Amino acid sequence: MNPVQLFHLEERKNRFRSPSFFFRILLLAFFVFTPFMFRSFEVLDVILKIIIFSVLVASYDVILGYTGIVSLGHVLYFGIGSYFVGIFMGKLGLTSYGHLALAFLIAILISGVLSVLIGLFSLRIRAIFFAMVTLAFMEFTFILSSQLRSITGGDDGISFKLPGILAIDFSYGKFLGIEFTGRLISYYLILLLSLILFLLMLRFVHSPVGRVLQSIRDNEQRSTALGYRTYLFQVIASSFASCVAAVMGGCFVIWVRYVSPDSSLSVSIMLDVLLMVIVGGMGTLYGSIFGAAFLMVTRAFLPKLQVIIASLLPGIPLAIRLSERWLFYFGLLFIVIVYFFPKGIVGTAQEIFARRKSN
Amino acid sequence: MNPSPLIETKDLTIRFGGHVAVDHVNLQILPFTFKSIIGPNGAGKTTFFNMISGQYHPTEGKVFFKGKDITPLSPALRTKLGIGRSFQLTNVFLSLTVLENVRLAIQAQKNIGFNFWKNYLHFSELEDQAYEILKMVLLDSKWNVPASSLTHGEQRKLEIAILLALGTEVLLLDEPTAGMALEEVPSILELLKQIKNQRDKTILLVEHKMDVLMALSDSIAVLHEGRLITDETPETVSKNKEVQEAYFGGGRSRG
Repeated sequence: MNPVQLFHLEERKNRFRSPSFFFRILLLAFFVFTPFMFRSFEVLDVILKIIIFSVLVASYDVILGYTGIVSLGHVLYFGIGSYFVGIFMGKLGLTSYGHLALAFLIAILISGVLSVLIGLFSLRIRAIFFAMVTLAFMEFTFILSSQLRSITGGDDGISFKLPGILAIDFSYGKFLGIEFTGRLISYYLILLLSLILFLLMLRFVHSPVGRVLQSIRDNEQRSTALGYRTYLFQVIASSFASCVAAVMGGCFVIWVRYVSPDSSLSVSIMLDVLLMVIVGGMGTLYGSIFGAAFLMVTRAFLPKLQVIIASLLPGIPLAIRLSERWLFYFGLLFIVIVYFFPKGIVGTAQEIFARRKSN
Repeated sequence: MNPSPLIETKDLTIRFGGHVAVDHVNLQILPFTFKSIIGPNGAGKTTFFNMISGQYHPTEGKVFFKGKDITPLSPALRTKLGIGRSFQLTNVFLSLTVLENVRLAIQAQKNIGFNFWKNYLHFSELEDQAYEILKMVLLDSKWNVPASSLTHGEQRKLEIAILLALGTEVLLLDEPTAGMALEEVPSILELLKQIKNQRDKTILLVEHKMDVLMALSDSIAVLHEGRLITDETPETVSKNKEVQEAYFGGGRSRG
């Protein structure tokens, strides 16, 4: 047996004992028990959005961090997923479980085909071209969704009800002291879908295709010289990630029961995704969870700083005045993180662990 | 007795503007031999080389591989046919491990490139093969470090390992000792000797340090100002007056 096999054997033996394994179990347990730990809807809402954005950001990481291509229109597919569910449920009034599943399927199909087409005709040319084309497509769809009032509801968007056990007024009764409403069932459904997709992406990046993608990111010319048709691999990666994003778009509107251009298709969501991937660490997949958590938590709670400060330090106007500028503190926090974690939270942590191991 | 050449060039010529970089070169490379191309800087060695591997297309003339005209083919297709090349500037995947660099080259040969549903470790025989090749180039002790942490000489060895992993019949080596620390050179030469002694590869090497090649080559082709001066055994070449004129400038010097 050669040292390589011995190394893998050792790794397999220790896989249930490694800190990262415990961390993963802990993380999953946290998400599963969230509804039992936090009774406030506000907290549940933030945590569910962390879950959804974790998966969305991870899918973006497959493109940016693992393949090394820059897409600026990834949220387009999130929007496609959102709108198909929204239109089926709200506009067409097709509100059975079957139609919900159909909406998802059509969204996945269209996202897959569209991303293959965009990839085939723009990835071959130059990296910056792909970034511009994807951005243009997203902007175009954004305008489409706000102009086609009869189908999309324009800027007002579409509100809708969900069928059966997902409906807001559905209640299964009490379980372990909390009421199982349609909301909570939606929470667990989305958690389950997210888990499956996340595991799927882990599989993807550790497959032979995933390894080729990493070689392309590292040195595309060399990869070509080995005989890999690199642009085909890039197309595969971007269409896979797009399908994942479409599912998450559908999940997002299942949770908020509302779809509009601003909440599902805007450039500002794309910027959030970019921030999250940078904060979490590119090419790590798990980084997306940290990135999403960082952004979502600060977004949700920094604006409350004012209230907290006011109650803690009443009668000090300067403190209250200072606490008003929450976006400023958000910016500072972001700079601090990028400064101390140049490869993102997970990327930098991995580096430190690897260095310790080799010492 | 005389087998047909594996690679043959006929009147291979390339002009860049008015400058004739390679001028009607007719060269034959016999299977399982080790041929070196030498010549002073600017003699057109690397340019000639690039036309065989497909990076450049000749203005005139043709390249044949096993009697087939491959002049119009791309570098990737030539690799598939069996002509692999290494680069003068080190060209490896720096952030991947040494083993992974070689494993990817082996994977490129198998039909699993598009598999995305299995873990790559499922194909463990690829790793075993990669490890065997690393043993050959004496890099096996470093299999698990990123390629970026290797010395320059080690990276050149890794480059050769990747080339070997591609399993091509022909190895085109572009100055394998270029930019290398002096104490690292002997180990590369030892490696080349080993590959040569297995007699299952055809090797074409470009170099401008003459002493590197004397012991290794079956034949040495000398280029000067784009023209082929001679193509003989090392002994004959070193005695050739014209070569001494062109290459050593009359006196003794190294590279």
